[in-house]
Amino acid sequence: MSQLIQSEKMAALGLLVAGVAHEINTPMGAIHSNNDIMTRAVAKIRKLLGPAPDKEISRLLDILGEICRNNEIATDRIMKTVRSLKNFARLDEAERKTVNIHEGIESTLTLLQHQLRNRIRIVKQFGDIPEIECLPNQLNQVFMNVLVNAAQAIQDRGEIRVKTWTAGDAVKISISDTGIGIPTEHLSKIFDPGFTTKGVGLGTGLGLSLCYKIVQDHHGTIEVESSNQGTTFTITLPLEA
Amino acid sequence: MTENSNPTILLVDDEEMVLNSMKSFFAIENNYNLMTYTSPLKALEDLNRNHAHVDLVISDYLMPEMDGITFLAKVKEKLPMVPRILLTGYADKENAIKAINNVGLYQYIEKPWDNEDLKLVIRNGLEKTTLLHQLEEKVREVERAQRELSEVQKDILRVFA
Ligand SMILES: Nc1ncnc2c1ncn2[C@@H]1O[C@H](COP(=O)(O)OP(=O)(O)OP(=O)(O)O)[C@@H](O)[C@H]1O
Ligand SMILES: [Mg+2]
Repeated sequence: MSQLIQSEKMAALGLLVAGVAHEINTPMGAIHSNNDIMTRAVAKIRKLLGPAPDKEISRLLDILGEICRNNEIATDRIMKTVRSLKNFARLDEAERKTVNIHEGIESTLTLLQHQLRNRIRIVKQFGDIPEIECLPNQLNQVFMNVLVNAAQAIQDRGEIRVKTWTAGDAVKISISDTGIGIPTEHLSKIFDPGFTTKGVGLGTGLGLSLCYKIVQDHHGTIEVESSNQGTTFTITLPLEA
Repeated sequence: MTENSNPTILLVDDEEMVLNSMKSFFAIENNYNLMTYTSPLKALEDLNRNHAHVDLVISDYLMPEMDGITFLAKVKEKLPMVPRILLTGYADKENAIKAINNVGLYQYIEKPWDNEDLKLVIRNGLEKTTLLHQLEEKVREVERAQRELSEVQKDILRVFA
């Protein structure tokens, strides 16, 4: 797959995400607000009933209150996902921007939540890193690919550790998993386009080659270290591209 | 619509569900009169026809008939002192912010909005109008005092002339 097709795909995805985010936000806004109104109404009714309300009315109000709280958690989840989608695609930022990459990592992790939940513990060790000039949506692609690979390498339960720090005039990001590891004979091939061990229909083998290309465009490097205890990908991005 | 001394808010959004939710919110909060429109054109028509008193205007950004910034710019011509607030979705935030500086809007609120924020923005907007009115009143008072003073001055000069 050429880089051109990839960036066209990103542009199309961006438009789709913008449309979906906008389409969801209006009804979401209404539901979110309506739920808040219900919560307020329940509180007002409670106040009107005074200190010794009818038992059954009180029980029903408790149920309503509980439902409102539950709805709030549910709507918050949806709103957070939409925000992350929007942040991930960063359509408003197709050009170079100076950003803190922690934002992109956080958004990517949110989007991956359903794949990770309960199964994989995420440990974030975010250092004090400066903002860097980059193509944020492209870097998010890198984080996404590496994190998905890490999650897929963990068979049952495990841990993914995301570390960031500053080293000289570069920012470093390492993503370590406690997965199956990469056999030594594969290490030289994993960045080749089309190399996959995931089987037909499961992997395209393009993920890491794309990551390599994107990191290279940023004048950075992506390195791998692996044993049967797990794998660490380390991305180095210069402050001045 | 103004059947009490509560401030009146004119609200425009092409989505009925947004209008309904905000209407319910202010019904339960019991502190504002609301005039709601799904059509910005109809809202302008009514504003131009009857001189209904409006204290604050809120408009959605993306509407099929007319975008919220154009609408609020027209409201400004008609009611220059009334605070104007724009409602925006994520996708049009950047444009909205640009326009806010160009058209001189009071504030913008992002969808999905928080009712408590909405209340605060409205309250601050109304307070700003009140302060502006008070300032105008004070300026008028000062002018009146100045006029009186110059009358007295004339009288004195006349006596000593
Ligand atoms: N964290 C990891 N642990 C173990 N093996 C890995 C890890 N990351 C990559 N690999 C190996 O490298 C190969 C190539 O990865 P790449 O992301 O390029 O393609 P893929 O994941 O197979 O396919 P796709 O990205 O399209 O789903 C994988 O098939 C896998 O064998
Ligand atoms: Mg992959």
